[in-house]
Amino acid sequence: MAKQLGMVVDAGLCIDCKGCMAACKVANEVPGDNWRNWIKSGDMDWQAKKRGRMVFQPGNCMQCDKPTCVSACPTGATYKSKADGVVVIDRGLCIGCGQCIKACPYGARFRNEKLKVADKCDFCSSRRAVGLEPACVSTCPTKARAFGDLNDPASPAGKLMAQSKDKATQVVNAQSNTDPNIYYLGDAGLKSWPVKAQMPGAFEFWKNLADPAVKVVVGLTGLGVLAMLGKQLMLKNDAPPPEEHGEEGGHE
Amino acid sequence: MSSPKMIQRHTRAGIFIHWFNAACWFFLLFTGLALIQNPELNPLGAWYPKAVRAVFGGGANLLVAHWLVALIWLAVWVVYLFWGMSRFVAPFLNSTFSLEPNRDIQWMIKKNLQMTLGYKMMAKLVKPLGYDGHLPPQEYYNAGQKLAAQGIIMGALVLIGTGFIMLFSKYFFSAADTWLVQWSMTVHFIAAGVTTALLMVHIYMAAISKEERPAFISMFTGTVPAEYAKHHHQLWYEELEEK
Ligand code: HEM
Ligand code: SF4
Ligand code: SF4
Repeated sequence: MAKQLGMVVDAGLCIDCKGCMAACKVANEVPGDNWRNWIKSGDMDWQAKKRGRMVFQPGNCMQCDKPTCVSACPTGATYKSKADGVVVIDRGLCIGCGQCIKACPYGARFRNEKLKVADKCDFCSSRRAVGLEPACVSTCPTKARAFGDLNDPASPAGKLMAQSKDKATQVVNAQSNTDPNIYYLGDAGLKSWPVKAQMPGAFEFWKNLADPAVKVVVGLTGLGVLAMLGKQLMLKNDAPPPEEHGEEGGHE
Repeated sequence: MSSPKMIQRHTRAGIFIHWFNAACWFFLLFTGLALIQNPELNPLGAWYPKAVRAVFGGGANLLVAHWLVALIWLAVWVVYLFWGMSRFVAPFLNSTFSLEPNRDIQWMIKKNLQMTLGYKMMAKLVKPLGYDGHLPPQEYYNAGQKLAAQGIIMGALVLIGTGFIMLFSKYFFSAADTWLVQWSMTVHFIAAGVTTALLMVHIYMAAISKEERPAFISMFTGTVPAEYAKHHHQLWYEELEEK
């Protein structure tokens, strides 16, 4: 099976310390109000007789198998890497149009305040390049996040996947299931937060109207030109009506 | 017909800017189309951008090549416009933006019939309408050239405007303004499509059709035979004769 980096998270272990968020911000130089990862939690029902346990759900870009962000990107700057299944952004090719940001059901993307291009978690590609785990995984004091190739039982995440295939769940919006590659063990807590993926209006207009219209206009023009060429080749001696043509010279 | 009388049609500056413009325009069309990787948006699908990116060493280089040539193209045009405003540009705009509906609509219809059916068939078809088989006399530019030039000029303005918005997105825009970038991409694409259709006709007329062969040659030499001017641009010819 192809390599697919992912995470298996035990939300039950998360204590909402936000160490992963801070570590990520530093490791990836994420500016200002931008964050690449998050901890989601529901509201505690303080009135209830029997209060449940609060569950904190750590997350970040899910490196989806069917990423709607990739479908929304016109330039191909956002793509899913064939080598490890991570969805990456080519900053040189990104023009900062923001279509992918709207298209992600998880709000995992943002416009980098400083670089003004799309940005999101890439499982710390610069740290992985030197053999380190993602910053959030290394820093987590309770080891709530396990990382690795989900299809390789020798990796920490792959091992958990192999052990508890049926117990691991994805957090998805039923209307746009992108098949995410972060799995949660046991109770993941809040599940209702992902939104329906939405393509920007300009994208829909281009795809549904502009693209077919341009094809038709250029295609018909091409046919018209071919018709003229055909006529030119078939009617070799096509001259204007002679009498009137002769008269023309009389104007001088 | 030994050494026919020739008359001046294009200046050297005009010839230069035309071919410079055409070269840039082709480059921009073929690189621009390759910047659209998304198969749902690219009319050719994904193979074309893949192939061109392989040549340019990746999409990021392709993007730089596209806007760099666009900026050079625009810079040369700006110099040309300022330097030649009164001598070349104003007269060109005057002649291309002056249409006379009655004469020119008739010309457009008849020219198209003639181009596709030939003079004889056209004569048969337009007789019942009270036309003869003859094309109304034309000025320096014929109605088709005028319309093509108008379309290309307006298309170019739209391409420049939307192009700059996209280029500036990465430098000046905030997240709240990106809707403008998104619509710029769509409109840039439409303008490129429409001008491409116009240019297909333009190139056919100029480089392939036999009737306009002297005009094609004049885009290199600058001159056309007086005979050609008399039959294809009669009003212009008469104007020259009067002088
Ligand atoms: C192989 C490509 C091309 C050929 C062979 C060609 C040929 C010509 C010729 C022969 C003329 C002069 C017509 C005359 O004297 O009556 C002309 C004019 C002109 N060309 Fe081109 N051209 C080419 C590409 C382009 C491109 C790419 C553009 C613009 C983007 C362009 C824009 C114009 C304009 C605006 C005029 C003046 C008005 C008109 O004739 O419509 N041309 N071209
Ligand atoms: S979580 Fe969002 S940004 Fe990440 S791959 Fe899925 S759709 Fe794309
Ligand atoms: S902003 Fe997103 S959709 Fe737009 S080019 Fe960049 S990666 Fe692609």
